[in-house]
Amino acid sequence: MLFFGLTIAAAQKQTPPEGGTPKDFTLPKKQVITLRNGIEAVLVPYGNLPKVTISVVVRSGNMNEKENQVWLADVTGDMMKEGTATRSAEQMAEEASSMGGSVNINVGDDQTTIGGDVLSEFGPAMVRLLADVARNPLFPESELERIKNNFLRRLTVTKSSPQQLTFEQFRKALYGDHPYGRIFPTDNILKSYTIGDVKKFYADNFGAPRTTIYVAGKFDAKEMEKAIRSSFDGWKKGSKPLINVPKAHAHKSFHLVERPGAPQSTIYLGLPVMNPANKNYVQMIVTNTLLGGYFSSRVTANIREQKGYTYSPSSQISSRYHDAYYVQTADVTTDVTGPALKEIFYEINRLQQEAPPIDELRGVQNYLAGTFVLQNSSRQGIINQLAFSRLQGIGDNYLTNYVKNVLAVTPAEVQHIAQSQLRDDEMTLVITGDRAKVEKQIEEYTKDTPMEKK
Amino acid sequence: MHLYRRCTIAVCAFLCFGTLFAGQPLYTIPVEYHTLGNGLKVVLAADHTSPTVVVAAYYNIGFRIEPKGKTGFAHLFEHLMFQGSENLGKMEFIRLIQKNGGILNGSTRFDFTNYFEVVPSHKLETILWAEADRMKGLAITQENLVNQQGVVKNEVKVNVLNQPYGGFPWLDLPQYANTNWNNAHNFYGDLADLDSANLNDVKSFFNTYYAPNNAALVLYGDIDTKDALAMVTKYFGTMQPSTLPPKPDIAEPRQEQEKRVTKKDTLAFRPAIAFGYHVPERNTPEYYAMGLLDQILLQGDDSKLSQMLVKKKGFTSGVGGGINLLGNMFNYNGPMLWMGSLIYDNTVPADTIIAAWDDVINGIRQKQVDQKTLDRALVKLRSDLYDNFSGLFGFGTADLLASFALFDNDPGRINTLEENFKNVTPELLQKTAQEYLRPTNRTILVIEPKTGK
Repeated sequence: MLFFGLTIAAAQKQTPPEGGTPKDFTLPKKQVITLRNGIEAVLVPYGNLPKVTISVVVRSGNMNEKENQVWLADVTGDMMKEGTATRSAEQMAEEASSMGGSVNINVGDDQTTIGGDVLSEFGPAMVRLLADVARNPLFPESELERIKNNFLRRLTVTKSSPQQLTFEQFRKALYGDHPYGRIFPTDNILKSYTIGDVKKFYADNFGAPRTTIYVAGKFDAKEMEKAIRSSFDGWKKGSKPLINVPKAHAHKSFHLVERPGAPQSTIYLGLPVMNPANKNYVQMIVTNTLLGGYFSSRVTANIREQKGYTYSPSSQISSRYHDAYYVQTADVTTDVTGPALKEIFYEINRLQQEAPPIDELRGVQNYLAGTFVLQNSSRQGIINQLAFSRLQGIGDNYLTNYVKNVLAVTPAEVQHIAQSQLRDDEMTLVITGDRAKVEKQIEEYTKDTPMEKK
Repeated sequence: MHLYRRCTIAVCAFLCFGTLFAGQPLYTIPVEYHTLGNGLKVVLAADHTSPTVVVAAYYNIGFRIEPKGKTGFAHLFEHLMFQGSENLGKMEFIRLIQKNGGILNGSTRFDFTNYFEVVPSHKLETILWAEADRMKGLAITQENLVNQQGVVKNEVKVNVLNQPYGGFPWLDLPQYANTNWNNAHNFYGDLADLDSANLNDVKSFFNTYYAPNNAALVLYGDIDTKDALAMVTKYFGTMQPSTLPPKPDIAEPRQEQEKRVTKKDTLAFRPAIAFGYHVPERNTPEYYAMGLLDQILLQGDDSKLSQMLVKKKGFTSGVGGGINLLGNMFNYNGPMLWMGSLIYDNTVPADTIIAAWDDVINGIRQKQVDQKTLDRALVKLRSDLYDNFSGLFGFGTADLLASFALFDNDPGRINTLEENFKNVTPELLQKTAQEYLRPTNRTILVIEPKTGK
């Protein structure tokens, strides 16, 4: 042990001071406005900083793509930035910049967000701009080749990332032919998209019935309401959201993505678990956090801080509409791929065999309670929380009761979740790494396991 | 340590009050500044929006002047600050913060190493005690050193060695653009150098640089500044200052010839190109002009380089960059580059990209921008500055306060930035562009991908 610094080491360690008593935390108040066409707008005043975030969330995304339409949602999203009936792309860009922001279109599995973050005084003007983008895309055919070429480049670049390659196989194993399992298109599929495909995808999947508007930050509520009503009231067209919950079934499987000479193996290990609509979902969150979901977690303490196998271990519960999976990821030194896997399974099994000590659980609960406050202490964070609970149909109660529910979880419940949800004999394992060095190391975990079909 | 972070590109940030916004209330941060007897700079700023407080300890030592022959040492040392101090064993500091409902991280940058936490405000004293414990001294074993060497080597692998465009351009370009070793070495660390670090190096580094007179402590958030100062004095006031070594020479000579480098990347399948220009000295009028040039040329969909390279020519889907890719234009203290980069296609020669880039740059060097463009740049800067302030639950504000305390002995600067940017005229902008965007001031780095895809 090497002591150095400016004081002499004491024989007895000091304990940290306790600190004060917690302040009450209540979620920021919101105002919900319903437009004549049924669109709901949720307005949340927050903070002193003179900025406002506006998100037009549409219940459409990659899950609306048919089998040969992978990334059509993304192409459509990018094409929506290429101009409206009354604004060229350049005008759109300058207008947004003059407000201190940009038009951002983010396409996800279940939702597409058309949004921007501007100086407060321009809130109403940004609402009008975003409404124009959402309602009146021009879809100029002249820009389609360039946009498609961007996606061809993006496809090649993304597929050179070891994490993305691992993710692709993991999703394929869990979801098969469902849109959630189709991560990458082929070059030919991308090239095949016509402006007609883009226009049809937009017409089929955008409209008032699928849209919710969120506003958070500093803004004039009256002016914002006026702008929202006048810009979105007339938007009638559109069909109800498509519901397509996958029948994800957990099954033991293994896939190796070859990466000759790789200095690290990228590991994804996981399986489908209970989704956010389940009344015990908070127990799942707590269990995951304790096991691998924060720095003080068991897996991180083991394979990073004790053994130095990796810099980047992490586990998460990844959710979509009424669907979720647990996944532990890590990029580990190639030579210890087998040992790292051994430790991950060891920690999962340990939690199944013995309920966690109360102190350890309290630490996790306090961490989640504290970070819940942080998640509700930024404009984007507030919107994310509201959009999540709305997507899942779990209502305001999920958020208002979250901390209470976290604190109510017991050690026995955590153990039960580990046993019933984290069934390691039904997990999918995907590794991207140097086959020659890795194959023998992981034999124990992959023998008798069906290899996933490519 | 940057627990799970990839390198992110920071945008240049700034506050503006042009005539467009006459009548808008000024957003200011209430700054209180004290220096303790032992030299510790203490900055306190109250903001009661959320019941949380940011605690940030900044040491005036980064990777720029880390020991020669020990590349990556300052960053490795940052990891070791979490490995044990007198009253906190390995991982105990981290557990203490997290189980009290907080988040934490640290990072090593050009000219500082920082350690910060965001915690519920009623836990302030707990965190100050812990931060003081490790400022007083470390207590680490050979085993912990070896462990973190393994962790850091894996960090370098996951972010650089096993990643296409791994160090591009944030780690690569400064090594080619600069000539002074301090500015031009591999600051993430050669693996062999990381392996060669020993406990004596750690002890020596700590004793040299980790002293109260080489540090700034910032508290920003839900605090009572009087109580906070009393707590800080209680926990940090009795530490002794150290004698700091003379500062090494970190100057870069004026670049007189354009440099062009091609680097093979066998993990990439598309070429990429980056341009790096040496920027004016910090806090000069030209420096502020450079910040505006960055906005006009590179930031936002409306920027001139975006419009040319993305929209008009279709070479790429985005041009990224800015001043100081490991932070922003305010939080460094030495020679710096303005960088712009893009990924393009195998079918386009690098010279074609360069010609289009030059089209834009020559335009701004030859013709003064109009007031409308300048005004829009000021708006973008103001908005970016606000984003900087609120970034990471207020850490962004603490970061600026700490940087201004450490480098300028004036954290109150955070409220006065606007004046200098407002003073930039189209003439000064053009003059700055003529000098600093001249071809002989730049380094071009081309990434040659693996062929055959």
